Amino acid sequence: MFKNLRKLSVGAGAAALLTISGAAGVAAQSDITICFGFQDLETEFWVAGHRAITETLRGQGIEVLEYNANEDPNRQLEQIRECIAQGVDGIIIIPQDGDSANTIVAEAQSNDVPIAVFNRPPNDRSAGLIAVADNVSATEQAVEFIAQKALRQYEITGEPITPLILVGALQDTNAIGRRDGFFNVINRYNERYPGLFNAPIEVATEWDAATALANLEAAITANPNVDFIFTSSDFLFPTIRSVLEPRGMWQPAGTPGHVLLAGLDGDATACMLIDQGYVDATGVQDLYLEAEMTMTSLLDAIEAGETAPNEVLLDPGFALTAGNIYFDRSDMWGCVLYDDGFLDQ
Amino acid sequence: MARTRHDPVSTTIQRDERPGAAEDPSGPLLKSISPKRRDQRTPSQAVGAFFRRALLSENFILYLTIIFFVVASIFFTTLSAPRNITNQLLNMWPLLAIAIGQTFVLILGGIDLSQGATMAITSTIGGLVMSTALDASTYDKSPLWGTLISESGGILGQDPNGWAVAVVVMLLLGLLIGWLNGTMITRFNLAPFMVTLVSSTIFAAFALWLTQSRNVANLPEPFLLLGNGDIISIFLGPKLNPDIARRDVLPLITYPALISLGLAVLAHFLLTRTSFGRQMYSVGTNRRASTISGVPSQRVIIMVYMFSGFCAAVASILYSARLGIGQPSLGSGNILLDVIGAAVIGGTSLFGGKGTVKGTLFGVAFFVLLLNILNAMQLSPFIIDAVKGGIILIAALLDITRTRILNRGA
Repeated sequence: MFKNLRKLSVGAGAAALLTISGAAGVAAQSDITICFGFQDLETEFWVAGHRAITETLRGQGIEVLEYNANEDPNRQLEQIRECIAQGVDGIIIIPQDGDSANTIVAEAQSNDVPIAVFNRPPNDRSAGLIAVADNVSATEQAVEFIAQKALRQYEITGEPITPLILVGALQDTNAIGRRDGFFNVINRYNERYPGLFNAPIEVATEWDAATALANLEAAITANPNVDFIFTSSDFLFPTIRSVLEPRGMWQPAGTPGHVLLAGLDGDATACMLIDQGYVDATGVQDLYLEAEMTMTSLLDAIEAGETAPNEVLLDPGFALTAGNIYFDRSDMWGCVLYDDGFLDQ
Repeated sequence: MARTRHDPVSTTIQRDERPGAAEDPSGPLLKSISPKRRDQRTPSQAVGAFFRRALLSENFILYLTIIFFVVASIFFTTLSAPRNITNQLLNMWPLLAIAIGQTFVLILGGIDLSQGATMAITSTIGGLVMSTALDASTYDKSPLWGTLISESGGILGQDPNGWAVAVVVMLLLGLLIGWLNGTMITRFNLAPFMVTLVSSTIFAAFALWLTQSRNVANLPEPFLLLGNGDIISIFLGPKLNPDIARRDVLPLITYPALISLGLAVLAHFLLTRTSFGRQMYSVGTNRRASTISGVPSQRVIIMVYMFSGFCAAVASILYSARLGIGQPSLGSGNILLDVIGAAVIGGTSLFGGKGTVKGTLFGVAFFVLLLNILNAMQLSPFIIDAVKGGIILIAALLDITRTRILNRGA
């Protein structure tokens, strides 16, 4: 197991995984086979989540069958059927969207195979083991922090703030939750402080950096006075930078022209940018907690012979801000990776 | 040019020297070797002739698939498990439907890159009109809200037979997109690659715009049966418990199988038993010569692209029903690689004039089996796509080799 963990390039990440392994609480079970179906690992969050799950399970002597569906839910359904045909003991999936997740969970459960969904929940949360961050809450905490800063700016200048949100693919319930969290805060502040915010600008990203770049370029060109940006995922910060920097809008906090920036995920890039002052806050999903809950619950169900365990495993999330980063950075998976040189690799 | 089964007008058409021109794949070479000469061959010549014969056979890919399956089953026993076999058959049917359409287009010497987008738009519109309930907070920004869709679903959502009408709408939409492609190609003499790429972009974006990139849920149960329903299921083994677990029940004859095989039979009939099929081979071999000899090339091209759109719509029905959602992103991945790959592996020439439905059926089977084996090998998911690409490249090279052998033997 220690040999497996050494394969991880991040020492602190490995330490976190050790904790997960211990928490999983199941002794070496070489006769268990888990099928792990995921989508493309395009962001740090998914890479870290994939590592956490596969390395920990294999560290316990559990065989893991990996399937990448390349963002195609139909292919993922085929792959899960293939896993069932191979007689796996349990299934973990990262689905493409909440709708297809419903079908896949039903397929597994109707074939008496326990299934857990990692981070991207089905629309119907009554079936399957569902580890999910409270996207609305984590987003609200992050946006609240920059809304406070926006309010102070408004009180000084009297100029209304123009907010912009980079929206994820709305088939994904995570994207919907983050959008809802953003609008909850904006609407709450506008009720309390009428005139504080102009109508928010929504930029579609489809969780794709190229789409986000094209749409954000167009939005900023049309609205150069944007001074408040929330991205539904931290992996888009480099995209935001490439749009803002040529326009002189990429400035650290405390300098003229700083655009208030917040995101969600808590990845290594966000941690670095908060350190440097360019990003003000990010809502953090506790990746290691979610991975631990997913594996523990699934292995427990397998051990108990449960074929259709149903439970929502909620990760409350928290906001890491320029104000609390010195105290809370060790709880953020992205900072753990960043401090270990992940971005230098 | 030797007269072939598929080419009644060949007496008036000059031989096309392009690689892939229409030929009877098993004909000239074998006929050129007399029985006497065969007896005089050395063992190495005999082996060489055997491989050439196998390579030129219409059933080459079938033989390869069977050998592949038998050998791989020795190493990966789950491959030959009944459950796995029925699963792989289920995976075949939607891919076969769309690959048949692409085969027709490839026989013409064209290509249809809009099949994925056709699947997306037909899935989206079909899903929207047949949905039984739609969430206002999710769809109120759709341009169709308040007209074709509302909180009580699509306009056909409350009609018990509305799903059947929606299926017809999806098929008609596929035909319409194919007609647009074919018309643009023939009337303006545009490259099929460019026309179908443009229509792919437009219709994929249109599908996303209609639903604001949301999936469409709450599709009617009878429609879902088209993608999942078993007509005959079997259970193998002793019945030890009064209740048979769902995972032990094997779907033998399913609705998707009937639909795709029905489409395959229709396509095979069109290709081999009608003048339309013969005209297709003729146009694919040499369009100008076909036109001069009286073949209505423009009409043939338009009809073939319409058939391709129709097949994409059929695949869209199967995929949407299987997943239970109308999906604006359906077909947006690398499904076209699978589709074109399966057709080429099945012996369809990228240069036109050659291809059969039977070959495509075998190509799809090979492709599905290949994926199954690669997964069983537990290769890195990132390597699997590279291997798939490599296999398609080899198939394309084989196509050129076969053509050269045929041309030498003719």
